[in-house]
Amino acid sequence: MIRALIIDDEPNARRELEKLLVKTGQFELIGECGNAVEGVKMINRQRPEVIFLDIQMPVIGGFEMLSMIDRDIMPHVVFVTAYDEFAVRAFEEKTLDYLLKPVRLERLEKTVEKLHEHLRTHIVPDYETEPLTRIPCIKGGNIKLIAPEAVEYAYTDQSGVHLMVGGELFNTDLTLKALEERTELLRCHRQCLVNIRQVDQIIPRDSACADIKTSSGQIIPVSRRYLKNLKKMVGI
Amino acid sequence: MQLIFSLLQQMSVFMVVAYLFTKSPAFRPLTGESIRRRQKLILYFVFSGFSIMGTYFGLPISDAIANTRAIGAVLAGLIGGPGLGLAVGFTAGLHRYFLGGFTAFSCGVSTTAEGLVGGLFHLYLMRQNGVRDVFNPRIALVATLLAESLQMLIILTLAKPYHDALELVEVIAAPMILANSIGAALFISIMRDQKRMVDKVGAIFSAKALKVAEKTLGIFSRGFNAETAAELVRIIHAETGVGAVSITDREKVLAFSGIGADHHSGKPLLSNYATQAIQQRKVFYADGVHEPFECPHSANCPLGSALVVPLMVDKDVLGTIILFEPKTKLFLRNNRSLGEGLASLLSVQLLRSRYEDQKSLLTKSELKLVQAQVNPHFLFNTLNTVISIIEQDALRAKDLLFHLSNFFRKNLKRSNDLSTLEEEMDHVNSYLTIERARFEDRLVVDIDIDPDLFGTQLPTFTLQPIIENAIKHGIANIFGTGVIKVLARRAGASIHIDIEDNAGSYCQKIEHGGLGMNLVDKRIKNLYGEQFGIAVNCQPDIQTQIRITIPAGAAS
Repeated sequence: MIRALIIDDEPNARRELEKLLVKTGQFELIGECGNAVEGVKMINRQRPEVIFLDIQMPVIGGFEMLSMIDRDIMPHVVFVTAYDEFAVRAFEEKTLDYLLKPVRLERLEKTVEKLHEHLRTHIVPDYETEPLTRIPCIKGGNIKLIAPEAVEYAYTDQSGVHLMVGGELFNTDLTLKALEERTELLRCHRQCLVNIRQVDQIIPRDSACADIKTSSGQIIPVSRRYLKNLKKMVGI
Repeated sequence: MQLIFSLLQQMSVFMVVAYLFTKSPAFRPLTGESIRRRQKLILYFVFSGFSIMGTYFGLPISDAIANTRAIGAVLAGLIGGPGLGLAVGFTAGLHRYFLGGFTAFSCGVSTTAEGLVGGLFHLYLMRQNGVRDVFNPRIALVATLLAESLQMLIILTLAKPYHDALELVEVIAAPMILANSIGAALFISIMRDQKRMVDKVGAIFSAKALKVAEKTLGIFSRGFNAETAAELVRIIHAETGVGAVSITDREKVLAFSGIGADHHSGKPLLSNYATQAIQQRKVFYADGVHEPFECPHSANCPLGSALVVPLMVDKDVLGTIILFEPKTKLFLRNNRSLGEGLASLLSVQLLRSRYEDQKSLLTKSELKLVQAQVNPHFLFNTLNTVISIIEQDALRAKDLLFHLSNFFRKNLKRSNDLSTLEEEMDHVNSYLTIERARFEDRLVVDIDIDPDLFGTQLPTFTLQPIIENAIKHGIANIFGTGVIKVLARRAGASIHIDIEDNAGSYCQKIEHGGLGMNLVDKRIKNLYGEQFGIAVNCQPDIQTQIRITIPAGAAS
C-alpha cells in the first residue's frame, strides 16, 4: 500500500479522488487537505510517499507549495488539475505524472503503475522549485505570509519552528531544513538559522563556539561546526 | 460768402464720389475690424486720390487755392493711423507744392501735418475705445477742424510775403475750415452707414448659418443615406433660400430639394463639377456669369449657377453637397461661404457618426470576447463536482447540470439587450449555486435584494462579471471562508447594487478594473450618463465593495 495524501481546495474534488484511489486498492490514504499550508504541515508530520496536488488553490498554489517542503521528505507528486495542462507539462519531466479533472479510473491506474515503478527503482523525487518568496506563518490562528528577507533568525524547539520577525515571534509549519534549502537564511546552529544581513556582531566564546548579536540585540548561539562558514559569509 | 457756396458745391461732388467709393470693392477692407498691409496700400491710393482731387476742385484765389484737400489726408490718418495719414498728406502736399504759387510750400507742409493730426486722433481713439469710434462723424468734424486751423497757422508762418498770407487766410479760413470739417463728417457718416449695412448683412447670414447648423445637428449621425440626406436638403433649402440644394454620394443624387427637383432627384452624377469635386477633393463653383452651370439632365433646366462642396470624412469623400441658383438670380457671395461652411459642418457630423459606429462595434466585440471567456477552470471543476456527487445525490447533480446549462445559455444571450434585475440575478444565481457546490462551506453567499427592484432594467451581463471577480479575488485569496454579499436597494433617485467580498485583496488591481468590469461601467454610462456606473471601494485585507449605480427610473 502506498501512503497517499490529497491536497485540493474543493471538497467534492477531494472526495471524488479519494473514491478513485480506494477503487485502485493500492493506496493507504493518510489524509486530505484543503490548502497548501495544511498540506505542508501534513507532509512534514505524516511523510506520505505520494501527494495528489491541485495547482489552483487559495493564496498558495501547488507549485509554490512544493518549494516549502525540504528535499529529505519530498514525496512523489501527481498534479491534479482542471485546466493548467500547459503549466504541468512544463513540469512533467521532473514530476511523476499529472491528471486532468475529471479523472477516469483507467487513467489513474496508469499513474499507479508509474508510481510503483518509481518506488521499486528507488527514484528519489527531486523537483526544481523556485526559491521561497514568502513563508506561511501562524499567529493567533491567522495565516500570515512573511518575506524571508524580513526574518531575523529562525529556530526550532519541542513546540516547532519559530521565526523572529521585527521583534515578533511567529510559528511556521515549514521545517528548518526547508528554510535553509529554499531561502538565504544561514545555518549557525543545529537548531538555528540566521539572516546574515541582520548579524550585528559575532562574539567569540570558549571552545571555538560563539554568539551572534543580531541587529535588534538578540543573542543566538553559533556552534563550532558552522562558525567557520559563518565567518566566511560575513567576510571575517 | 460765395466762397462758402462754391466750396460746399465742391464738397457735394466729393460726397458723390465718396458714396461711390463705399459701394466699390476698394471699400471692403474697411468693413473688417482690422486693416492689413495690402489693404492699407489700397487705402493710400484711394485717399491720396481724394486729396489730390480736392486740390483740383479748388478755386484759385489770389495765387492760392481754396480747396477740400484736407478731407482725404485727415480721414486717411483717422482711419488708417499716423503712418497712412502722413503718407497721404505728404503725397497730396507734394502734388500741391508742384502746382506752385506763393503758398505752395506752406500748403505742402500743412497737408502732411493734417494727415498726422488725423493719425494722432486715430491713436488716441484706439487707446480709448477701439476701432468703433474711428467712424464717428463728430470726431471727424473736430479732427478736421483742428487740422484746418493748423493749416491756417502754418500758412501764416511759412508763406511769404506775410501780409499776402494774412490777406489770404482772412478770406479762406472760415469757409475752408467749415467746408472741410463738414465734408469730413459727412464722408465718415456715409462710410459708417455702409459699414453698418455690411455688418448687418453678415449678421443675418451668420444667424442663418447657425440656424441651419442647429437644425441639421445630429441628422447625419443616424447615417449617410437617402433618408437623412432628404431631411437635410429640405432644411437647408428652406433656411438658406437658395434656388435648390442637393446632396449626392459618390455615384448619384441622394436627395434634391428646390427648383429642378423634377429632373434631378435620384439621377446619377453627370456634371463635371460633382465628379471633379469628388475626385480632386476640391470645391467647384460655376458662378453663372463667367462659367455657367449646364444641367446634364435637361436642356430646359432653369438652374444657372452651382456650388459643389465635397463632404469629407478623414480623407475620403463620401459625396457632395450642391447649392444651386436659377439663371434669373445671382449666386450670392455669402451663400457661397455658407455652403462651404455647411459642408464642413456636415463632414464633422459624418466623422462623428463613423466614430460612434466604430466605438459601439468595438464595445460589442469586446463584450463578446469577455462572454466567450468562460473560465475553463470553472467548467471542468464544475463537471468534476457533478461527477463527484452524482452517485450519492443524483438529484443534486441533476440540479447542478440545470444551473450549468442556464448559466451558459445566459452567457450567450445577445449583449446589446437590456435585462431586468430579476433576469440578471437568475444568471448570477446559477453561477453562485455551482460555486457553492464546488467550495461548499468555504463560500457563503448572502443575497439581499429589495423585491420592488426586480423589474429594474440594466444592461445584460452587468452583474455576472462582477460577481465572478468577487469570487475569484475573494475565494482565491483567503484561507478561510469567503463571504460574498449582493445587496440592491433604492437610494434617492438612484439604485445601488453592491457586491462585496471579505478578502479585500488586490485592491490596486481591482480599482483599475479588468476588461469585463470596465466594459460594464462603459455600457452603463453610455446608457444612463456619466454619473452612473461602477465605483470600487477597497479596504485591504478586509473588504472589497463594488457599487453599481443606475437611475431609479430604469424600472420597467
